[in-house]
Amino acid sequence: MPVKTIAGTLGSTIVGLCRETGGMTVLLWRVLRALVPPTLDWRELLRNLHKMGNKSVPIVVLTAVFTGGIMVIQSGVFVRRFGATGLVGWGAGYAVFREVGPILIGLMFSGRVGANNTAELGTMTVTEQLDGLRALAIDPVRFLIVPRVVAMITMLFCLTVIGDLVAVIGAVVVAQALLGVSPWTFYWSMIEHLHPVDFTNGLIKALAFGFAIALSSCHFGITVRGGAVGVGRAVNNAVVAAAVSIFLLDFFLTYILR
Amino acid sequence: MVQLEKVSKSFPQAPRLLDGVDISVPTGCRWGLIGPGASGKSVLLKLVAGLLRPDAGRVILAGRDMTAATEDEQNEVRTRVGMLFQNYALFDFMTVAENVAFPLVRRGGVARDEIDARVADRLRAVGLAGSEAKRPSELSGGMKRRLGIARATITQPEVVIYDEPTAGLDPVTTSKVYDLLQADHEATGGTVLAVSSDVAALRSFVSRIAFIYQGKLRYDGPVEHIEEAEDPVVRQFVRGGMEGPI
Repeated sequence: MPVKTIAGTLGSTIVGLCRETGGMTVLLWRVLRALVPPTLDWRELLRNLHKMGNKSVPIVVLTAVFTGGIMVIQSGVFVRRFGATGLVGWGAGYAVFREVGPILIGLMFSGRVGANNTAELGTMTVTEQLDGLRALAIDPVRFLIVPRVVAMITMLFCLTVIGDLVAVIGAVVVAQALLGVSPWTFYWSMIEHLHPVDFTNGLIKALAFGFAIALSSCHFGITVRGGAVGVGRAVNNAVVAAAVSIFLLDFFLTYILR
Repeated sequence: MVQLEKVSKSFPQAPRLLDGVDISVPTGCRWGLIGPGASGKSVLLKLVAGLLRPDAGRVILAGRDMTAATEDEQNEVRTRVGMLFQNYALFDFMTVAENVAFPLVRRGGVARDEIDARVADRLRAVGLAGSEAKRPSELSGGMKRRLGIARATITQPEVVIYDEPTAGLDPVTTSKVYDLLQADHEATGGTVLAVSSDVAALRSFVSRIAFIYQGKLRYDGPVEHIEEAEDPVVRQFVRGGMEGPI
């Protein structure tokens, strides 16, 4: 590949990255400005809380049950070899609460809620509904975006709490069935070795992931260009951006909260 | 009064779409704009409503310079404006009745009973009585357009902007829609700006008409004289002739 082409591709990628980051920063500023003082459309907020939270519970529960089980299966080899049944609860709980729970639930949430949010806002953009709101003297950020951002952050937090608890239940069941570790042993292993901070660190991550998913999905939704094809492209970009943000944030938060 | 002074607007894919356009529509006038496809008619309406900012020039709406106004100041003016969009811009997460009631609900100050009565009245006027609980996605193109008209006029605004009010409608429905717009205008006395590709139907509704071509206004005057305009481009477009400069 000629150097000119490589430089051109690199240049356009950097420009694109700067454009999207700048767009998200502007959106963040507008969201924060709309929140002071908080003039939320409560009906829109409740509608989004229900749609984004309640309807995500089944998929989160399913993911969490298997996540808990997988943690136990992975540690099963060592538990059997060293007879360390007293550490199963700690191992599963530590991994689920601090890392695997928030990340997997965040990615599921991004795929289900974030993608749907981008598609919905994108369709509204290409069908001039956002202009329709502005023509009625209604700020689309205040009316549409802020309730979605608040709902996504709130609901990912709540879903992570539910997911963590369900993952522990999944881990208890698998530990009993495959390793013969009693629920009582599992419980005491968690109580003795885990600290509240292990649980709260995961929840801090969930808040940050919710914010990243909300911002990227709303940004790509309201900046759609090019009709239905553009909406598809925006959904793809939003999911990729959210996934990258989740892993970046996870890295830095893990370092800060270690 | 609606006034555009030396307004220009360019897009990357359409440089100089509008090039120094001057328009002055007096209060109470029914003003129409015609022109070939992609000649900037819808963009001009969005500039009037403050949904786009011009690259140069001034837009004055209801006495306020929209180009110099902040978003809050523009919103204050927009409460006195109703707009029908080319793609309807109906809110698909609301029912038909909620769409029509929305401008009144958001502005506040009107009792729920009165809102319901006005919505029922408006829906009856546009022939959508009985469709209150439907979603916009359940309506045909013509019904969506009439719903858009109902929403644009529910607040009895001082200025009403119609972007293609009859596109895709059959001749009978087109006549009915223009009868409705005329009745609304006679009732409120507001200023009307309408864009349409259906030249004949629009001419029957407006009192003044303008023709836009390649970013410039080539005609702006009484509707009855446009066919005899001096500019051969205007004459060819209005007559639909095959021979000519277009």
